[in-house]
Amino acid sequence: MAGAVGGGRGCVTLRGAQIRDLLDSKHNVLFDCDGVIWNGEAAVTGAPEVVSLLKQRGKRVFFVTNNCTRPRENYVQKFSRLGFTDVAEEEIFSSAYCSAAYLRDVARLQGKVFVIGCSGVMKELQDAGVPVLEEDEAADREPGISIYNYPLDPDVKAVLVGYDENFTFMKLAKASCYLMNSECLFLATDPDPWHPLRGGRITPGSGSLTAALETASSRKATVIGKPSRFMFECIASQFDLDPDRSLMVGDRLETDILFGSNCGLSTVLTLTGVSTLEEAHRYRDSEEPGQKDCVPDYVVESVADFLEALEE
Amino acid sequence: MASSKCTSLSGALSRQLTLTLLDSVDSVLFDCDGVIWRGDQTIPGAPEVINSLKKNGKRVFFVTNNSTKTRQMYADKLGKLGFNATADEVFGTAYCSAMYLKNVCKLDGKVYLIGSNAMKQELEEVGIQPVGVGPDPISGVQIDWANVPLDKEVQAVLVGFDEHFSYMKLNRALQYLCNPDCQFVGTNTDTRLPLEGGKAVPGTGCLLKAVETAAQRQAQVVGKPSSFMFECVASQFDLDPQKCLMVGDRLDTDIMLGSNCGMKTLLTLTGVSTVAEAEANQKSECPHRQRMVPDYYVDSIADILPALQA
Repeated sequence: MAGAVGGGRGCVTLRGAQIRDLLDSKHNVLFDCDGVIWNGEAAVTGAPEVVSLLKQRGKRVFFVTNNCTRPRENYVQKFSRLGFTDVAEEEIFSSAYCSAAYLRDVARLQGKVFVIGCSGVMKELQDAGVPVLEEDEAADREPGISIYNYPLDPDVKAVLVGYDENFTFMKLAKASCYLMNSECLFLATDPDPWHPLRGGRITPGSGSLTAALETASSRKATVIGKPSRFMFECIASQFDLDPDRSLMVGDRLETDILFGSNCGLSTVLTLTGVSTLEEAHRYRDSEEPGQKDCVPDYVVESVADFLEALEE
Repeated sequence: MASSKCTSLSGALSRQLTLTLLDSVDSVLFDCDGVIWRGDQTIPGAPEVINSLKKNGKRVFFVTNNSTKTRQMYADKLGKLGFNATADEVFGTAYCSAMYLKNVCKLDGKVYLIGSNAMKQELEEVGIQPVGVGPDPISGVQIDWANVPLDKEVQAVLVGFDEHFSYMKLNRALQYLCNPDCQFVGTNTDTRLPLEGGKAVPGTGCLLKAVETAAQRQAQVVGKPSSFMFECVASQFDLDPQKCLMVGDRLDTDIMLGSNCGMKTLLTLTGVSTVAEAEANQKSECPHRQRMVPDYYVDSIADILPALQA
């Protein structure tokens, strides 16, 4: 298998028979979503067929996304809307879902979590039965309450920060106060500094809000999302995955590919999203340690390139 | 200069040392938070120190990273708390950022401002028009945010302390900064703003970090320890750094500024940094840390009063 052995990483462009051989050697395929199987509300051409054919060939397919803006049930609807047939909720692992799983199963949180996050994050916590400190924006407007003076809830034992379009200075101040207690857990859904939108535009990501809170608290967050291993461990705990027989397909070198490296998976970069072939080559040719882990084993133009191999 | 450092000026035997130090300088630059006041309370003895220095013919300046007040607002606060001071002796980052944008960036357009009304006033005073000050709540959906209308005349983004900081402001700054020709300036990187009673509020450094992370760009920072703050004072008052004493409570801003600019440095222990931290820096091999060792330290600025009043 050309370039498959650890240390032989080299951005090998895959075609035809090589793709078939690669897929034959893997039992599990993990796909990132944004920029890989869809872009916004448009499926990447051929992606629904690829997923369908992989399943028909007996592969297990999982979706691993740092995007925490939707709960899993909404993702199921999106898959359906975009033409992906029979994608089950159990196959979808978002950073919001995994953050809730971490709090419930790994941290075994006894107490409430103070959340800086969107409704997608809140819903996953609710579904997992993790108690959330409800934001009381009306209380924030009471006379005498300000960023210099506000009550704290003694039951808060963790702070979770994720994408939050309603982020305010007040939330930052409260969260940093809770984090002054070293026993209070500090979690972040994902490290993405910005998210790509349609038409090459970008919007600030969870990573930028996490950076603000890390600076305020002089503490580092435990990051759940890619490239951290936790999302893989979450899947593995439910589905018994062998990393040697698993493939990670993504579009972002610093998250998807690094995630694959960190978990011992083979990695494929698709060029329908954020990272470019030039960037991959730059990591490959870099002298700096750690940069090599962002180099994908293989590169394809699009996941549609798998169709040729699968349709035989 | 480097051989005898981190010497205490507190205690009965230090009066001569203090007198020698004071005789060797003609100007004293004071940080404010944690040095002469905490929140709205003076450090006891601080007004007497400043006023005595002036009586002894020393020039006194106030150099603060705090961007929430104009020079005049600081002069008003100083006056109210018993300090004999005028607006032109105050160098806060609201004023210095305006000077920086005008004289260093040579800004010829508007600035998108994440900051206070004080910053807005100082900018307008030098003829720069800011946009964006005040609350900025979110509305619409994600794709709207990426397509917020941008003012074509904006040529820089300036980030200072802003209690109205929000996702929408972070987003607007990001959209402007996607243009590599748009300049990016921050008032300071302090992580926390200390208040009375041990409480603290997240500082400008947190907001700046959020914008830097989203935009994947580094801001030009105006405040201490950047030497621009000293150059601002020195250019207006013709200072010789070797005849200047920098008094502060933070090793990484005040003392670093002093070292970078060739001033003598005095650490007061009424604020953020401790003697243990200073001594650890002194023992370290790292040149960066060596610049964060004060020449002298006192428990409180009031400790130099006996020497002054002699």
